Amino acid sequence: MRSAAHLLIVALVVFSARAPLAQEGHPLTGTWSGDWGVGAAKRTHITMVMTWDGTSISGTINPGPDAIAIPAIALDVTTWTIRFEADAKDGRIAVEGRIDDIASTHRTIAGTWRQGPAKGDFKLTRD
Amino acid sequence: MQYVGSAFRRTGTLIAAILITVTALNGQRPASATYDSERQIRLEGSITRIDWVNPRAFVFIDVRDASGTVVNWAIDIGNPIELERRQWKRSSARIGDVVVVQATPARGPARQALARSVTLKASRKPVFTPPVARAATARRAPTPRWPDGQVRLGPLPGQKGYWGPASAKALVESSAASVRMNDDGLLADLSDADRVAPFQPWSKAVYLHRQRTLLKDDPIARCMPPGGPRQFMSLNGFQLVEQRELGRILVLLGGGNRNWRVIYTDGRPQGQAAEVVLTFYGTSVGRWEKDTLVVDSIGYNERFWFSNGGLPHTEALHLTERFSRPDYDTLKYEVTVDDPRTYTRPWKGGWDVQWVPGEEIEEYFCEENAEATFVR
Repeated sequence: MRSAAHLLIVALVVFSARAPLAQEGHPLTGTWSGDWGVGAAKRTHITMVMTWDGTSISGTINPGPDAIAIPAIALDVTTWTIRFEADAKDGRIAVEGRIDDIASTHRTIAGTWRQGPAKGDFKLTRD
Repeated sequence: MQYVGSAFRRTGTLIAAILITVTALNGQRPASATYDSERQIRLEGSITRIDWVNPRAFVFIDVRDASGTVVNWAIDIGNPIELERRQWKRSSARIGDVVVVQATPARGPARQALARSVTLKASRKPVFTPPVARAATARRAPTPRWPDGQVRLGPLPGQKGYWGPASAKALVESSAASVRMNDDGLLADLSDADRVAPFQPWSKAVYLHRQRTLLKDDPIARCMPPGGPRQFMSLNGFQLVEQRELGRILVLLGGGNRNWRVIYTDGRPQGQAAEVVLTFYGTSVGRWEKDTLVVDSIGYNERFWFSNGGLPHTEALHLTERFSRPDYDTLKYEVTVDDPRTYTRPWKGGWDVQWVPGEEIEEYFCEENAEATFVR
């Protein structure tokens, strides 16, 4: 059992050491995870799923019982910036961010996250 | 020994472009991303090592630079299978031989170069001369057929051969035949992008990003399979093996990792894209329309570039390929690309593929070797 665990750890280390994969498909499509918050002390985990259907981008924040639907996500491909709004229980969410490292599978989006009266920052990494 | 790093920015470009023609798909990383075709260098030094490995063979030489310091250079001499076809062997040169190398240097500080010529200094004899592209065959034998009259896609019984070089460098919409690009599919003028394909804004931005970064993120550089039309533009060629009794055609690829693809011709219906497992080669069903094999494919993942040059696609990609053989030595390939999430409308392009008679498909494997050590 222990040797199997060691093997698993070695396999994970080896796998994680591989070169990052390149971006394929629509740059926003997929599952993203990260957090938002006002300052470093209090962060709130976010999982976000975005979908491109050929004409528009939509998404879901925290899929599951407390999911928040994002009806439309705007992407400016000249600057790789995104913007969207959604209604949460504790207020309206308004987000602006920029995609970094567009060529990577594990690219990131970072920017400002407003939720109700709070204004913080966020960072999401594509899974 | 001396190192002369002269840059012939313009005069060397054409020679380098010819050289890249024969090396583009043999290597892992697109030549444009690895080597700077705008520069040429001359190196002189003693051979310290010969790596005779797929997909690229390397000769390492010790070169004394202008300050007297000895530095080791990795000289990329091409695919060893192609070299052996031209009678070059690992033993064609020996450790300690002094050689003069004319080459295209790697981008950045790496001491690596793509050989244009390697000459033994003492005898002035060339060694490991890079292979040249095969000239188009002059013969025009009739299209081979099965006893029932259907076109054969392989050789006649008792003969051998495979499909080799493609006439195009990258897939381009057929209405824009004169888009200038190098053999990796890098556009000479980025403003030509709109002529390549009817991009949506996001896919054009991704395509231009890939072009501007010299295709460095090409999945083929990580030994990912060349799905879609790209499988038919590999220098390593392919075979179409018709198993009529099994109702299928196997596409055996010389490039990638010697992958294979199945085209079912047993009359089964095409699956639904949402239900099939997404793969690099998709799910293909084919049927004959007179002398043309029409293949309908869906179920592609997004982890490959379907053409040299970095054309994007999504899982919605639907390809309709048409294969015809107007004579023994020519395969006409035409593909209709329908991906409404990536392109504003369906579009088509294609090229001819040349028959390589009397030879078997090459023994090629994509694997890491010295290149990864020197250029990152």
